[in-house]
Amino acid sequence: MVTNTKEVKALDFDISRSTEEERKLSFKDEFCIGCGICEKVCPVEAIELGDIGAIVRNEADVPKICIDEDKCVLCGMCSVGCPVDALDFTVDGESIKDMDVYPHYVSSAEIDDETCIYCKACETACPREAITIARDLPDRAKLVTGEIEIDKETCIDCGICEEMCPADAITLEHKIPTSADPTVSSDINVDKDKCVYCLICRKVCPVDAIKAVCRTCSYGEYDLDPAAAEIEGSSFIDDDLCVRCGWCQEICPVDAAKVKKPFKGELTIDQDKCTSCGACVDICPCDVLSFPQPEEPGQIVDKVFKDEKYCIYCGACGNVCPVEAITVKRTDVDYTPTKSKSWKNKMESLKT
Amino acid sequence: MPRHIVSGLKYLTAVELVRNGLSQKEVAETLDVDRSTISHYLNGRNLSWSSIEIAETITQMCPKDFLLLTYALLDDLEKTRIMVKTCSKSKWDAIVKDSCIACGICVDTCLMKAIVLENLKARIDSDWCCGCLICRDNCPTNSIEILEVENGY
Amino acid sequence: MMELKVNQDNCLGCGVCVVACPVNVSISPEVAGGHGPKTEEVVMMVENGVIKLFTDANCTKCGTCQLFCPVDAIWLE
Repeated sequence: MVTNTKEVKALDFDISRSTEEERKLSFKDEFCIGCGICEKVCPVEAIELGDIGAIVRNEADVPKICIDEDKCVLCGMCSVGCPVDALDFTVDGESIKDMDVYPHYVSSAEIDDETCIYCKACETACPREAITIARDLPDRAKLVTGEIEIDKETCIDCGICEEMCPADAITLEHKIPTSADPTVSSDINVDKDKCVYCLICRKVCPVDAIKAVCRTCSYGEYDLDPAAAEIEGSSFIDDDLCVRCGWCQEICPVDAAKVKKPFKGELTIDQDKCTSCGACVDICPCDVLSFPQPEEPGQIVDKVFKDEKYCIYCGACGNVCPVEAITVKRTDVDYTPTKSKSWKNKMESLKT
Repeated sequence: MPRHIVSGLKYLTAVELVRNGLSQKEVAETLDVDRSTISHYLNGRNLSWSSIEIAETITQMCPKDFLLLTYALLDDLEKTRIMVKTCSKSKWDAIVKDSCIACGICVDTCLMKAIVLENLKARIDSDWCCGCLICRDNCPTNSIEILEVENGY
Repeated sequence: MMELKVNQDNCLGCGVCVVACPVNVSISPEVAGGHGPKTEEVVMMVENGVIKLFTDANCTKCGTCQLFCPVDAIWLE
């Protein structure tokens, strides 16, 4: 009587049902972290989590989840359960993420641009490459002040200053001498936008042809504008990619990043069962797990190391562990209230 | 023959609507037929009694058969809804259990358009519920119960 | 669901998959030291110089064997 249609695009797919209203579930494989929560919350057992260990580690051309479009009733529970943006559910084109009647995880990641010093530590650390820091550095010339002059009559074009200048500010116009013009350089110039008045050129010049002075050293910084040293920038977190792992918050030297995770829990690794196969290390979307290096020969280290600071308790590691050495327990789920008992029960069922 | 049965159904609906206090003009508009035809119907003309008898039998069939057969004969959902609502003599009470997940399958399958989703739960309007049980049979979580609270036959 | 496949023509018989397989190690710990497994319960073993699946029902499809195999002789698809 009412049937679903499935549209597959490479590893992504849409399942939809159009009658009075259009209900559509969209899966985006690149965002899927293999947590399997969708499989657990589906009320009609239409979802099957794939062999994500093999898929992720060997880059298999297989979607991480399968949804049977004949079983799916398009209720949207999987999309609400998905802790990332791999599953989106829309009713008449509007995402249920924007509808208050549906429960949502309470989670966020923000970088305060007022506090941020644009050091890019978060950008480097983010395991999902979700952060972009754009920064405008000040002109070097505005941070130093001084005088430099080369007496071209005295200069013997030896090029020592050019070779030693750490700022690449001195350039000689090298040439082959001819009988008509028996010199090795036609000119020598100092780029004052590059010069930092370090005075190395003056010190190394074998014929004392360079006069240079650093005004900052002699008179202090009175003629420098502190505003010219300011770094302008902006930060951006791609919400589609961010998994709220907290790496940015932990690594930020000035506490500019704030992350609110949807789950609390416990991650337990049985070091006796673990065989160090690395499946969990490879699947973890948050770089929680790593292999420790012994500090000295003969030292026995853990088979796999965890730092729960970064854990979102998604459970993907537990799904892939071939020897059941990992237990992920969710003790708390933070979500917005819903009037529906069945939806509330489903959200509560995520606690394990 | 199907046309005659449709006429019989229209006749039964017209009589019932007049009994409910509608004017002939309103009945004609509701059923989308000429006023003269309604007038003929109400005076017992231009209609064979056997058509009415068959129509009556159809209205007394189980609600699902009544609904689906009427829809098949009329091929017009709006008129089907009105006829079934008007000629149905039983009253139904619908209970939606808390296990409802608001998938909307019932909304999509209900020919009477008696169901809406409210706060992630189906709400069934008993005025329009015809007791066909299509929603109950399609519900993936078995969350719908339809009770006959008044049998008019 | 994926299935574990082998291609004996490609296999060098190096046994890396046998040692790398975490399921093998937990069933028959001596394989971690490079010794042959003591039971046919293991997922795979080298027999007559080539890889052979024994109890592939025990495979949990973690993909470790495929990751370590130097010649595409064992894989999941």
